[in-house]
Amino acid sequence: MLSSVSRKLILIAAMAVVFGLFAASLIDLASLYNDATKDYFFEHGFEETGSNNLVTGILLDYRLFDSLFEAGILLVAVSGVIWVSKHDFADKNPNFMIDKYKTPDLFISFARLVYPLLLAFGLYIILNGHLSPGGGFQGGALAATAILILYFIDKNKETDIKRIVTIEKVLYLAIILVALLSLFTRSTAFTNFVAPAAGRQWQVVYLVTLNVLIGLKVAFGLWTIFTAFLKEGR
Amino acid sequence: MANIALLLIFLPVLTAIVIYVLQPRRSHEIALVMQAVLTVFAVVYALHFQADFSETLIVIGGWEERIGISLLNDRLSLPFVFMSLFLWWMVLIYTYDEHDSSPTFLFFLLFLQGVFMGVLQTNDLFNLFVFLELMTIIVTVLIAFRKIGSSIRAGIYYLLINTAGVLAFLIGVILLYYSFGTLNIAAIGGEMAGHGDYRVIQLSFVLMMTGATVKAALFPLFSWLPKAHGAAPSPISALLSGIIVKAGIYMFIRLNDMFAPAGIEYETFFLIVGLATGFVGAVFAVLQTNIKELLAYSTLAQLGIILVGLVVMDGYSGGLLHVLNHALFKALLFLGAGLIVVVYRTKELAKIRGVAKSMPVTTVMMFIGMLSIAGAPLTNGYVSKSFITGALEGEPLLYYAVFLINVGSVAGFVKLSAIFFGEKKLSYPFSHIHKVLPLVLIAGACMAFGLFHVPLAETLLDVDLAHVSRFTLGGLLEFLVMVAFGALFVRFVLSRGFRTLARVGKFRLAFETANYLLVIYLAVLGVYFVLL
Repeated sequence: MLSSVSRKLILIAAMAVVFGLFAASLIDLASLYNDATKDYFFEHGFEETGSNNLVTGILLDYRLFDSLFEAGILLVAVSGVIWVSKHDFADKNPNFMIDKYKTPDLFISFARLVYPLLLAFGLYIILNGHLSPGGGFQGGALAATAILILYFIDKNKETDIKRIVTIEKVLYLAIILVALLSLFTRSTAFTNFVAPAAGRQWQVVYLVTLNVLIGLKVAFGLWTIFTAFLKEGR
Repeated sequence: MANIALLLIFLPVLTAIVIYVLQPRRSHEIALVMQAVLTVFAVVYALHFQADFSETLIVIGGWEERIGISLLNDRLSLPFVFMSLFLWWMVLIYTYDEHDSSPTFLFFLLFLQGVFMGVLQTNDLFNLFVFLELMTIIVTVLIAFRKIGSSIRAGIYYLLINTAGVLAFLIGVILLYYSFGTLNIAAIGGEMAGHGDYRVIQLSFVLMMTGATVKAALFPLFSWLPKAHGAAPSPISALLSGIIVKAGIYMFIRLNDMFAPAGIEYETFFLIVGLATGFVGAVFAVLQTNIKELLAYSTLAQLGIILVGLVVMDGYSGGLLHVLNHALFKALLFLGAGLIVVVYRTKELAKIRGVAKSMPVTTVMMFIGMLSIAGAPLTNGYVSKSFITGALEGEPLLYYAVFLINVGSVAGFVKLSAIFFGEKKLSYPFSHIHKVLPLVLIAGACMAFGLFHVPLAETLLDVDLAHVSRFTLGGLLEFLVMVAFGALFVRFVLSRGFRTLARVGKFRLAFETANYLLVIYLAVLGVYFVLL
């Protein structure tokens, strides 16, 4: 086969062609640019979804169907990681990681300080997803980080991984059910079950509920993944 | 009525999660009941199909069509829906007794079915991306399901290559969204006219086609397919070759339909890609010594013929017919091969002999599958192959190229057929009715598609096959000539054991090379479609 140098040269040439194509074509965007959907969101987003944060409005209302399956990607990945990592549920206990000789005391002290702040910040991001940047996905990731820190603080912390996986799956079912509620109240599936006419204060109920459920689901999912990885790491 | 489209997606997904959480003892029965319910709903749904999509178009959330996500079933997606329902039935019956890992396996299997229904029905580009991503992850886990080193490596190989392809697709989606301000496939297709000269549109065509090429395992981005088949459990191989690879073909058709008003001339390029895929598949299939890898490479040969059929014929008719037929006989062959591998405890062709005596029913079914894939008269393979070659009459060069691919794949199956002859070596007690039942059912479907091809093609694909007869003397003669060629080749070339041939057969693309090929393919496609 080719020598590694000539292979690299071919690769560089091919990359150059691809980047050249992008550079040559993106000029067209100026004349083609169509922002009808963006304008639609700016004009109607607030009144139709009741969300100040238009990203949350799109995520939980206009394109809720996508969000369900994006949450599903994490769901499947969690189960896949657990299945493929060789150990069974029984011996997956992450307390080994708190090795006194490896984790500096300073780190542990600061972790105690950071843990409540991080958890509170995660909850804040989840609960205010409809008002300010953030939402269930982002806040859930923050909360999961806080839980990860917990393992540094409490050396003997034990996790029943089977239980958190079950909770995660049940939360996913709950998300789908809440999303489906609109089928009964407004006879169309996967949108806010409160009609815009009912007033914004009621629409927010739906947004917060779904954000909390998604946040919890993401936190539990990430928690499971790093619990599975902790054991593998050794 | 339109909400049944959502049911087709969510019923398998919800059942999968319930099975995973509760881990009930009768989980397989639950799955079978769910499948029966799903089939009933799908049939009712199809009976209500209207040509103006009034019953099969649904905009989720009740938004405007350009804003929200919509699901759409047309004459293209419905045959795929039913074919996947059928194959999932077969796999569910086939895996009935695998108790040890049943709930987890069923979780992934059923979730995959729901997601696959989503891929088929969605009318939204970003939604398609989400489903493709989800499909990639689930298939990865299923390939690596045995948790041995080689299967995990094959799974990761599949995951990385396919994710790269799907990301290329995503960049194409972004460019289109920027240009049209919507993600609705039908709406973009409607506004595509006159956009063919813009380089952005051409570039997004290139990027999206790269994604479809990886998913469909076409030349030169096919290297994940033999690896995955070598490692995956047999029922998963059957699904993978039978229908999941066809998701790439399905994307190819959908995207071409969407880009068609722009007038991008893709025919010549993809004709070459198809022929190259076919040749590589046929040549490598003959040289394999592992039964599942032989079948995997023969999938490539058939994909080549499918692509030629798609590109050359009006309305993709020949290729679509061959997609459905290939789904049947390749699933049959993989499930049969799975039984043989279980009984003989080896995948090496040289070590398996006397299958006809130890497993007579399986042998008969495997022969039906082999005759179908080789294109013997009276089988479904013959119908679709002669339908495709019939369209090539005017072009002798193409005709003989397809003929050569056929000869190659026939030679592969002549080689495979050696395992059925010889003395009975094993007397493994084998009496699982549910293992053989799917083989019999799929073989029956193969025969049905061969014998009643005219009404079946009319109802499923809206294609008139009246001019294609299921049996002609010339066809039989041609088939016999192919078998003779194949037998001569196997007898006088392969059995000599040339070392170079064996080495070529063992050749596998390294992961690094596969990545290089992805970038080079992207560059070549770009130069061809954007610059020239």
